Amino acid sequence: MSIQNAPSETSVFVAEGMTKTFPGVTALEDVRLSLSKGSIHALLGENGAGKSTLIKAITGVHRLDSGRMMLNGQLFEPTDTRDAISRGIGVVHQERNLIPRFSIGENIFLESLNAHPLRRIDYNKLFRDARVWLEMLGVDADPAMPVHRLSVAKTQLVEIAKALSLNSRILLLDEPTAALTPHETDTLFKILRQLRDDGVSLMFVSHKLEEVQEICDRVTVLRDGKNACESQPLEGLDRQAIVRLMIGRNEQIPDWSARDRSTGKALLQLKNVSTSLGHKEIDLSVHKGEIVGLYGLVGAGRSELAKSILGKFQVTGGEVLVNGSRAEIHSVADAVRRYRIGYVSEDRKSEGLVLMHSVLENVGMPIWRRLAGLAHFLTNGKIRKHTEPYIRKLEVRTPSLEQHVGNLSGGNQQKVSVAKWLAAEVQILIIDEPSVGIDIKTKAYLHELIRELSDNGTALLLITSDMPEMITLADHIVVMNDYRIMGEIDNTRDYDTMSERIMTLIQGEELVAAE
Amino acid sequence: MSRRFWETDWFGPLMVVVVAVAVVSILNPSFLSPFNIQVLLLAIAVNAMIAFSQMIIIAIGQMNLSVGAIGGLSAIAFAGMMEVWGIPWPIAAILALALGVLAGVANGVLVALTGISAFVITLASLSVYKGVNLGITEAQPFYKIPDVVKGLGNDTFLHPLPWLIIPCVLAALLLWYLLNRLPLGRSILAVGGNEHAAELSGISVRRVVIVAHAISGLLAASAGIMLVGRLQLGQPTIGDDWLILSFAAPVIGGAILSGGHVSVAGTLLGVAIVAIFTQVLVLFNIDPFLVQVVLGVLILWAVGVNRFREVRALKHSAQVAS
Repeated sequence: MSIQNAPSETSVFVAEGMTKTFPGVTALEDVRLSLSKGSIHALLGENGAGKSTLIKAITGVHRLDSGRMMLNGQLFEPTDTRDAISRGIGVVHQERNLIPRFSIGENIFLESLNAHPLRRIDYNKLFRDARVWLEMLGVDADPAMPVHRLSVAKTQLVEIAKALSLNSRILLLDEPTAALTPHETDTLFKILRQLRDDGVSLMFVSHKLEEVQEICDRVTVLRDGKNACESQPLEGLDRQAIVRLMIGRNEQIPDWSARDRSTGKALLQLKNVSTSLGHKEIDLSVHKGEIVGLYGLVGAGRSELAKSILGKFQVTGGEVLVNGSRAEIHSVADAVRRYRIGYVSEDRKSEGLVLMHSVLENVGMPIWRRLAGLAHFLTNGKIRKHTEPYIRKLEVRTPSLEQHVGNLSGGNQQKVSVAKWLAAEVQILIIDEPSVGIDIKTKAYLHELIRELSDNGTALLLITSDMPEMITLADHIVVMNDYRIMGEIDNTRDYDTMSERIMTLIQGEELVAAE
Repeated sequence: MSRRFWETDWFGPLMVVVVAVAVVSILNPSFLSPFNIQVLLLAIAVNAMIAFSQMIIIAIGQMNLSVGAIGGLSAIAFAGMMEVWGIPWPIAAILALALGVLAGVANGVLVALTGISAFVITLASLSVYKGVNLGITEAQPFYKIPDVVKGLGNDTFLHPLPWLIIPCVLAALLLWYLLNRLPLGRSILAVGGNEHAAELSGISVRRVVIVAHAISGLLAASAGIMLVGRLQLGQPTIGDDWLILSFAAPVIGGAILSGGHVSVAGTLLGVAIVAIFTQVLVLFNIDPFLVQVVLGVLILWAVGVNRFREVRALKHSAQVAS
């Protein structure tokens, strides 16, 4: 087997010919990869390109069908995850892997505690040791505090502390910044650079190419389970070149001009609204055919505001107007049925979809009652007739409508959660983080779809922490921080000035909307 | 459905039933005698109601430990109203069913409004309902059961089909229709599959939970009333031994205990399997107390099969999503 990029002397991990097939699917085919000492290596690829399988092979979850991995010059064949950890491979998974009711300290040292099942736990020492890691990561929290009381971002940092505490010489990070604010990301990057300088090999998986360009020095791109490039220096590769490697063609950035839709009828208005969750003085209006962006960092209270509008949490003051008249929304059922408001959740797995049910059942969920209204019963044929056009329109890739949603890829799951509300023919649609965990191709497609929806007269409230996405899509941007509106700006679609103004607003400087 | 028939929930249990019936009737031809079939169907009819009563709660991803207590309370209410107050049996039956619904609604309301797990709520209500039962009866049965009721509980309308099989078949058909054709039934499964997603899709989770518990209460009460006819007396101990069976049959029938997926046909076959195995012990003069052991083994077998299918499904989804 010939290797084009001969592994240099500093390579701590070399894999060649990695092949893994599942019945019917080849997830990895002859994949090569080498990680050098003291480097941050980016692993890129669209959803389904094989990144997760690759990580699972290295961490001992999957056994390779063929190919071999070398760790420090020795053959590396992890029998399970514990084996991989003991050989110095640490991993921060995309999903949370902490025990919610255990303290931060215990979570960080869970592995080492398990090594001596009958030794009394010295909590004082445990918390002392944990504090070192927390301080290093800049987390201001008591190590004795249970993990479930932490914010998503801090939980993520605890997870990183846990991986670091195992003294891993190779650290795999699967989308570690997905839930972090820019500030926390900066802190994390500082630590990653420090680890790199200490000689740790890091592998960094992310969908945010800006971050990859900022912190990584080498890159491996997978496409359809094969190497599109292998351990190539990142220097000299621009964003376009990376995207071309990932999707096999150039990225198409829609050239949408700024538009003003605020002249249409106001379909959703919040006037001086406060909620039981702590929102205060929220004023907001979304007009027919308008996309209003709600920007803010994780924890700013945006999803919580969306759920309050929907009636899941209580509106305690001010008024909510739908279609110009005062709306009494007491439950989500009210919002959906009486006011035709839909909500695409940011967390499709736990809030958006019933994974164990079929595509057809998921898309039909909001309209069962309406369909049954006429003859008092449902047939699959009837549901199919009302949902299939939308499923087709969104090009949901599924072998059949009876397929369980849990078996579809992330992008297709997201399409199903949108199709559900198209079928429900809502007049107001709140979309929360539409492109979390979605590849570039699907993201562009989803953006076109959101734009098209607005052209057809749907009022859209878009919640996203992805600045480029916000500036591409929104007509009008409302900035939120700490459960309050900090200000609003018409979107000129000029990235640099807009992002600067948005960040200024978040920082809290009084800056009333220009124009 | 495009699913192949051998992948359905009912295929495995059906094969077990067919093979068991074939083997047993070869070894002991009296197994297929009309009288034995009648006895078998009587057991299936009552046990199916008990299993359905639990199944509807499994569908929303909860547990109802008070199924037996509700059945027992309704049974002695039915018998007591006829004996003490002389109420005609159809009216007494309707009132006893209403009591079952009420007991179920109480469970549902407590679960829906407090957010406390159904396990704990029904554990408490089990104790309450059983206590009321013993308070009323002082642990003594009601004996004066009208002959019509005794007849309906034991006789056949068409040899060897007993009257009791009618409510059972009716319940099975209605439940199938509910879970597959009515928005309410679909909502029940959606809540079991993912409560948050269901709520954010405009389904009123509270109402669904309450209705499911009401249906559970109704079915448990039906089983209790049917048993009064079958036993020909209002035993306070009715319902004491329902719990294991109520979980075993739905699970054998492919139900997922975390909710969102149950099978009416599968549950019915699960009941049949338990009934046949119990009969076999009697036919071959094996100690009937071993029934409990058989039931336990059956549960483990069923859970094992479900787990196997789950792992296979996980592998399948892992490759699609890789």
